[in-house]
Amino acid sequence: MRAPFRIVFEQRSETPKYLSAFVPLVSVLAALLAGAIFLMATGYSVGETYSNMLQDGFLSSRGLTDTLGLSTVLICMGIGAAFAFQMNLYNIGGEGQGYLGMIGGAWAGLALGPHLPSVIMIPTVLLIGAAFGAVWIFVPAFVRARLGTSEIVTTLLLTYIAASLVNHFIYTPNSYFRAPDVTFPMGRTVPDSAKLTALGDTRMYPTFFIVVALALFLFWIVKRTEFGYRIQVIADSPRAAHYAGINARRTTMQVMLISGALAGLGGATLIVGEFGKLDPGITMLGYGYAGIVIAALARNNFAAIIVSGILFSGLRVGGDKLQITTSTPIHIGVMLQGAILLFALGGEAFRRYKIRTVRMQAVAQ
Amino acid sequence: MNSNIWILTSANAVTIATTLILAALGALFTERAGVLNLGVEGILLTSAISSFLAADSSGSIWVGLLVGSAVGAVLAGIHAVLTVVLRANQIVSGLALVIFGTGLANFLGKPAEGKTVTTIIQPLTFGPLTRIPVLGPILFEHDIITYGTIAFAIGSAWYLFRTRPGLELRATGDDPATVDAQGLSVARIRIRYTLLGGALIGLGGSWLMLAQSAAWHQAATTNGIGWIALALVVFAGWHPVRLIFGAVLFGFCLRLPFTLQAEQITFIPSAFMQMLPYAATLVALIALSRPGSKNLRGAPKSLGNPFVRDER
Amino acid sequence: MTNTSHEVVKGPHHSGDAAPIALSAHSITKRFPGVLANDSVDFDVRAGEVHTLLGENGAGKSTLAAMLCGLYQPDSGYLLRNGQQISLSSPRAGLQHGIAMVHQHFRLVDRFTVAENVVLGSRNLSFTLNRKTIDEKVAAVAESYGLPIDPGAIVGDLSVGQRQRVEIVKALYQGAEILLLDEPTAVLVPAEVEKLFENVHAMTAAGKSIVFISHKLGEVVEISDRVTVLRGGKVTGHVSGRGSTDTKELARLMVGRDINLSTQRASHPTGHEVLQIRELSLQTEGVDILSNISFNVHEGEMVGIAGVAGNGQRELADTIAGLISPTAGTISIGGAMATDRGPIAARELGLAYVPEDRLGMGLVPSMSILDNLLLTRDRHIVVDRASVRPEATRLIDQFEIKANDADHVARKLSGGNAQKVLLARELSGGRAATKLLVVCSPTRGLDVGAIETVRRLLDDARSAGQAILLISEDLDEIMSLADRILVLYRGAIVHETSGEAAQLATVGAAMAGLSTEGAA
Repeated sequence: MRAPFRIVFEQRSETPKYLSAFVPLVSVLAALLAGAIFLMATGYSVGETYSNMLQDGFLSSRGLTDTLGLSTVLICMGIGAAFAFQMNLYNIGGEGQGYLGMIGGAWAGLALGPHLPSVIMIPTVLLIGAAFGAVWIFVPAFVRARLGTSEIVTTLLLTYIAASLVNHFIYTPNSYFRAPDVTFPMGRTVPDSAKLTALGDTRMYPTFFIVVALALFLFWIVKRTEFGYRIQVIADSPRAAHYAGINARRTTMQVMLISGALAGLGGATLIVGEFGKLDPGITMLGYGYAGIVIAALARNNFAAIIVSGILFSGLRVGGDKLQITTSTPIHIGVMLQGAILLFALGGEAFRRYKIRTVRMQAVAQ
Repeated sequence: MNSNIWILTSANAVTIATTLILAALGALFTERAGVLNLGVEGILLTSAISSFLAADSSGSIWVGLLVGSAVGAVLAGIHAVLTVVLRANQIVSGLALVIFGTGLANFLGKPAEGKTVTTIIQPLTFGPLTRIPVLGPILFEHDIITYGTIAFAIGSAWYLFRTRPGLELRATGDDPATVDAQGLSVARIRIRYTLLGGALIGLGGSWLMLAQSAAWHQAATTNGIGWIALALVVFAGWHPVRLIFGAVLFGFCLRLPFTLQAEQITFIPSAFMQMLPYAATLVALIALSRPGSKNLRGAPKSLGNPFVRDER
Repeated sequence: MTNTSHEVVKGPHHSGDAAPIALSAHSITKRFPGVLANDSVDFDVRAGEVHTLLGENGAGKSTLAAMLCGLYQPDSGYLLRNGQQISLSSPRAGLQHGIAMVHQHFRLVDRFTVAENVVLGSRNLSFTLNRKTIDEKVAAVAESYGLPIDPGAIVGDLSVGQRQRVEIVKALYQGAEILLLDEPTAVLVPAEVEKLFENVHAMTAAGKSIVFISHKLGEVVEISDRVTVLRGGKVTGHVSGRGSTDTKELARLMVGRDINLSTQRASHPTGHEVLQIRELSLQTEGVDILSNISFNVHEGEMVGIAGVAGNGQRELADTIAGLISPTAGTISIGGAMATDRGPIAARELGLAYVPEDRLGMGLVPSMSILDNLLLTRDRHIVVDRASVRPEATRLIDQFEIKANDADHVARKLSGGNAQKVLLARELSGGRAATKLLVVCSPTRGLDVGAIETVRRLLDDARSAGQAILLISEDLDEIMSLADRILVLYRGAIVHETSGEAAQLATVGAAMAGLSTEGAA
């Protein structure tokens, strides 16, 4: 028994420009379609779900500013993931590094906030958060660079450890991070000097612009600098890097530490922004995991991450509000993220190959 | 110190090891074919909730286990299509599966929140053997799935190293071009074992749900067991029998925090005890990759690489 | 499984011979994107004969062979097996018709035993494997063709010649009647080639057909009953009769014009010592890779290092280039110590290095020609591509590189053009003017036109006074280019001779480790 045709993949020598934009777009639509079928099958209203998500995520002014607000941390997580991914270093522990960024940021805010003015405090909180994120990736980075231990599982395991750490700091009585004089375990809010004020009547913070500028700066770093050049050589061909005298171990360390720092920065933006305190709720939100999807969808292009970050943020914001507006479980948002990435991965094949079917040659007798 | 609690911990370690062995065996078969499926955690969760819902609505645990395994195979099938047929990056596809699976499981799990399955799988009885002190409860008070899993792991070793399909499977993971030149279909072999792997992981997730948790706690239901299973495969050097010992060891680490809590041993904060299994896995992984370690030699050589016949 | 029908169908070219035509291909055409690999090719092979497919790289011989064994399917044309039309959808279908290919890059699982490799994929194999039974069966098949092998040996531990034997036994075990040998001598030393040819004769005597694929004229004339020459995907000629063949004529059919690959070795006045190597040794995990090597290369001199792959050549080159630290000994370049100072320091002393692996080590495949030029140069903190562009354009022009512009991606270059980019970068200097050029297998896999160009470029560099260390497994190349020849065997220099006085037999024997006379 043989199929009457076979599928042939032809490597494209040149990828048409339109496909690079077309494939992610179609992936999003296909994922929405698959989600629609799934919603119908499970007995939820497709129209209601999607129109609410669209309205609450993008179209209403409240929704749009919420989306841009949330996109701050998501873009930050996205560029953090992409920075490592671009060198084939799969740091998937951005989630945990983000928790550490929150811990570090909260510590800086609580410890230094009462003594320093806002101008100094805001950068301090952000930088210490970034430093904590880098610390959290140090061991995976070091063993990857020295021993070649796969960073995938190590960074991920550290996320579980980080989550326990966050819980420890909040649930332990008399913890430094815990709000005193409240029986309900919750984080202690940082002083005002360590917090930014939201823009107008929105939930957007100025950190959004910092993160967008950072993404564009990284885009420039990768395309134009010696550091970016080195990353590209190692990513494509470690042996060529060795040949050219590029120190891959050192670059691996640098890239992973920066990746962790960016994730940590993402966590710290929540301290100066919306949360204002260490909050164990962060462990349920999965911003770090979303960053992986955002980076992958943008194919690790730092400028494109701004777009995919905002898109995913909208999905989250719209999805989260479903709880109030409809009976659809909010998890449809996360599910759609995964589905979009799966479709985008499939679509990637169409970008790289011309796929056609060939009839099996008939045997003339 | 109450020795009963320690015996119970050991017995529980064997219990949790069952899920670990099933999930790790699933990953092992997949990886032996050269496919890295990082989606274990997502598959475990989705199959867990699917089995719960199926068992709840049908009233039969066995239907639950079957549905859970099938769901596992379907999710692994997505990975197989993306990575084997469409040659997508295996790492990213696996991660996408974790995220998709987590979202899907939580979505499906909404109606299950707060419910429990009333019937659980009954342990087998071995009569007097059960009454042997210490060893009795540890070794002879488990259900058929636990014993079946251990037998299956041993059978898997025989299959891998002593049969024709096992030879072909190992060759596919090591050197797909050679398998292709022999006229065997690399794609078919890889898809087959990815699906089998998914079904095994799915069975593990279902069993975790129906025999252990018996209540849906969202992502906390699996709590990273999928990742530990992936590390376990490395720990076992891709050998099914060594998997059993590793699984019991990690199982013990996973149960220890509960035991210490019950023993009221509080000088170590509970959060740190909860970190133990992950920290232990981390240390094991790092120790295994020190220079000269023998474990990594079992790694399939083309693990993670899509196979493309060298056409011009 | 063999079809033993004796119906003889007359092939298109030969009609009088007694032996039946075992396999024939008619009007085979195969296209790849942008290339017409085979253009209505006719080919046939009789039982018990050796029929050679001769052609240079890219002539389409491997493509044709791939279709004969079922790896590819032709776009048009058909195959006859013992006169019956067959359609081969896969190598497995080929095997069912008794056709098997022995690939140039062995298709063996290193970790498996010989017997496991031989039986892998075999149809008539029981579900359970009994080690002892399969070992005996494999040994029996090997014995019956006079190819002794140890079925229990791990393939990864075998020499190249032994592995090739495993491949052949595998094909025979699976019932192959027609064996396609793809460039089988490329990886062998002369002594191993002789053994292979003995085996080929044993097989044809047993009635097997051999399709021998090669571009080496000498051996083709020695082994073939018939020769079909391919050029640019088309058949350009047939020659019959062993030994009676005119190599000049074959060369002309193969290349399409008269060529002269043997550069004239002018007596080069040699100057100062540019490279000095003293008692160099390298150990990896307790194994001696290089032992006690000493030699010099002078200005305007080309020293050739001959040897079979895996005798330490790559490590020697990498050590000189500063990529590996030696265990003992010293390297100096242009009079300055380079030992242990790393690749960048070596380049600052005037080293240039063209590694064997062009795309992947010498060049970054996904990068443009421009960016690849920057690979071995000082790049500053912000890469200033604009200032390098004019030079890139000039080099593309000067080295006759076929590329759209400096932004052409390396991966999309042909092998010859990639090598020219690499040579252009290395010869033009970067961190310092090039004094010493280390080149490894510079013409491997290139077509004749590119080989001529590359050799001319090396010759020009020598004339310009650069010191050249040529490391190659292609003995002919070393014999025709080098002023002095050193033979590397198991990491030691076992033979030294001047280029003019070099004798193929002596050097070949030294490469095989057979003789140590004239050792340095």
